[in-house]
Amino acid sequence: MSVVVTALVTSLSILTAILTVTAWAIWFERKFVARMQSRLGPTMVGPSGLLQPLADLVKLLQKEDIVPEAADRRLFDLAPKLAALCALGAAAVVPFSASIVGAKIDLGVLYLLAIGAVTVLPVFMAGWASNNKFALLGGMRALAQSLSYEVPLVLSAMVPVILGGSMDVSKIVESQIATQWFIIGPVWLGLPAFCLFMLAMLAESNRIPFDIPEAESELVSGVTTEYTGMKFALFYLGEYVHTFVASAAASALFLGGWDGPFAPGMHWMVLKTFALFGFVYWVRWSLLRFRSDQLMRICWYWLVPVSVALLLGAGAWVVL
Amino acid sequence: MSSKPNLDTTAPFEHPLYKTLEKLPGLSLGTASIDDLLAWGLTNSLWVFPMATSCCGIELMASAASRVDLDRMGTIVRATPRQADVMVVAGTITVKMAPRVLKLWEQMPEPKWCIAMGSCAISGDFYRNLYSVIPGIDTVIPVDVYVPGCPPNPEALMHGLLRLQEKVHAARRGVKVVRDPNPELMAITKPSIPRLCDAERTEELTRAQADDAMRVTEEQTSEPLEVAYAPSTPLPPVFAPDFAGLLRELGVDASSTEGPPIVPLARHYELARRLKDLGYRQYVSVVASHWPAGLGRKGKDDTEPEHYEIAYILRTVGRGSRVATWVVRAAIGEPVPTLFPLFAGADWQEREQYDLVGVRFAGHPDLRRLMMAENYVGHPLRRDFPSDAPAAPWR
Repeated sequence: MSVVVTALVTSLSILTAILTVTAWAIWFERKFVARMQSRLGPTMVGPSGLLQPLADLVKLLQKEDIVPEAADRRLFDLAPKLAALCALGAAAVVPFSASIVGAKIDLGVLYLLAIGAVTVLPVFMAGWASNNKFALLGGMRALAQSLSYEVPLVLSAMVPVILGGSMDVSKIVESQIATQWFIIGPVWLGLPAFCLFMLAMLAESNRIPFDIPEAESELVSGVTTEYTGMKFALFYLGEYVHTFVASAAASALFLGGWDGPFAPGMHWMVLKTFALFGFVYWVRWSLLRFRSDQLMRICWYWLVPVSVALLLGAGAWVVL
Repeated sequence: MSSKPNLDTTAPFEHPLYKTLEKLPGLSLGTASIDDLLAWGLTNSLWVFPMATSCCGIELMASAASRVDLDRMGTIVRATPRQADVMVVAGTITVKMAPRVLKLWEQMPEPKWCIAMGSCAISGDFYRNLYSVIPGIDTVIPVDVYVPGCPPNPEALMHGLLRLQEKVHAARRGVKVVRDPNPELMAITKPSIPRLCDAERTEELTRAQADDAMRVTEEQTSEPLEVAYAPSTPLPPVFAPDFAGLLRELGVDASSTEGPPIVPLARHYELARRLKDLGYRQYVSVVASHWPAGLGRKGKDDTEPEHYEIAYILRTVGRGSRVATWVVRAAIGEPVPTLFPLFAGADWQEREQYDLVGVRFAGHPDLRRLMMAENYVGHPLRRDFPSDAPAAPWR
């Protein structure tokens, strides 16, 4: 009984924390971007515009819920829920400290990658169900892109798995604490694997420079073109949670997780996650967008061979 | 978008439980604060759909940039109408654009508002009597805030958004938000069709506009095009295009000093083909003009019937470019041979002349309107076209 209660309490608190953090991450992004463009960002809603995400939420709750006549209604309703669910589900195995983790499972990395791969399904579902040419084009692009970038993502995530000798994320972090963070050692394979992981992660969560599925100049708003109110909010939320969880996974796999001096472990984990999260925004508002063909060429000509080489290198290092 | 809800406002609807519930302690306070919260959310997150068609759009972009920065009050620009709350109509709306604006407006989810930005969106301004411009967007969609200016500066737009916030709050509190129009001013600025707020606005007009907005506009009117282009002979070794010599050879009188030579319709295509072979490969333009009866090249001339003059300009390509210009005359309704088989560039240019002046080009594969709306009546650049012509149901 107490096991169930503990699990429930832990998972609920992680869920609440992630949702809250994500809401204010949107505020953070808007301020961050505004500063980059010498603007101020939200200032009028609450102190420093801190209540802006809340106002957006209250607004979106009140909006009319439009389902296009020609849309596939059931899929159309299901897609945003599934998108938010998949993104939140991935957070289950990310350890925020030695004790704060939703579910300690032996195949944590596999679960993480699998859930990450499933997130493309609701996106394509939305594109298909909207019965809108822009949404469908966006969905098709998302599908092609995510399936391609899945390969370097998985292969580069295998490097810390091999170095750490386990598929459990917590065990990987512990082995980093015992030796050193995989981004600096014990072999030079960690850093390139980390870069590959971040690149593939950007593409997986459809972020600039890989955001061709929602390319606003061509596709109106991509798969979310027909979504209004809370359904759109769920998509938006899913996207941010996905980026957040992927940043957390990257810091656990490569940056030593909760390892750090002076402060308790969770502070370090959150700090590292936010640093990577901020990096994603920095990239997002600095770079342009790739073309579809450039995107595919980068993946199959460069990222996949390099990640295969890294995987083989890591295997050889462990064996020898 | 019912402009005039059919409700008797003098006797508001009252639920039977209302009197009882009103006496419950704290209930009205609770509902009032929830209402305030909802209005606070609505007003502080006004996402804009930029219906920007002209120069006002530049100011709209500037208001989202630094210095004014609409994001300060939580206003961001969304690319899809499904996620927008405020449509900012920034710019001149033409008869062809109006159905699209209405369609986009109806795609926006309720609650939604409209800001008419700039004098063209408000009243059509100095394009007001033009054959193709609608006299103000409030003849099509209900406008909440008018931001005057030509164009208004970003500060003015921000002020408009702040006024919209006030309006939403007032409406939520039950304060009646109606314009207080100056009847004299309203009479002066009366558009050619009634505004949505005018008393003489009819349901038929609203329905006609809605029907026009739902009209399928992308249907193919003619068979897909398959044209064998006339093959060009290679350029002669000595490149010396001789336009005057060619005209002499074809028996055209080129002695007139009052403009380019007039070529008989029968030799027109032949001339163009020979010119192409001579090296005039670039089709620069075709310009048609309409001459009413009694008006000719020398001014008033009672012997002149009503006719078209169609001027063609061809050019050689490369250095030392030469230009060939000639004119054909055609009676009203008389078909003019198309130059499309010789020059693919003639396609849209001839369509434009057909659309605006009314010249029939014989043999053109796809002679549809190009500039004006598909269901526009008449050819607006003819001399006999009334300058304030109506274009139902938009002006």
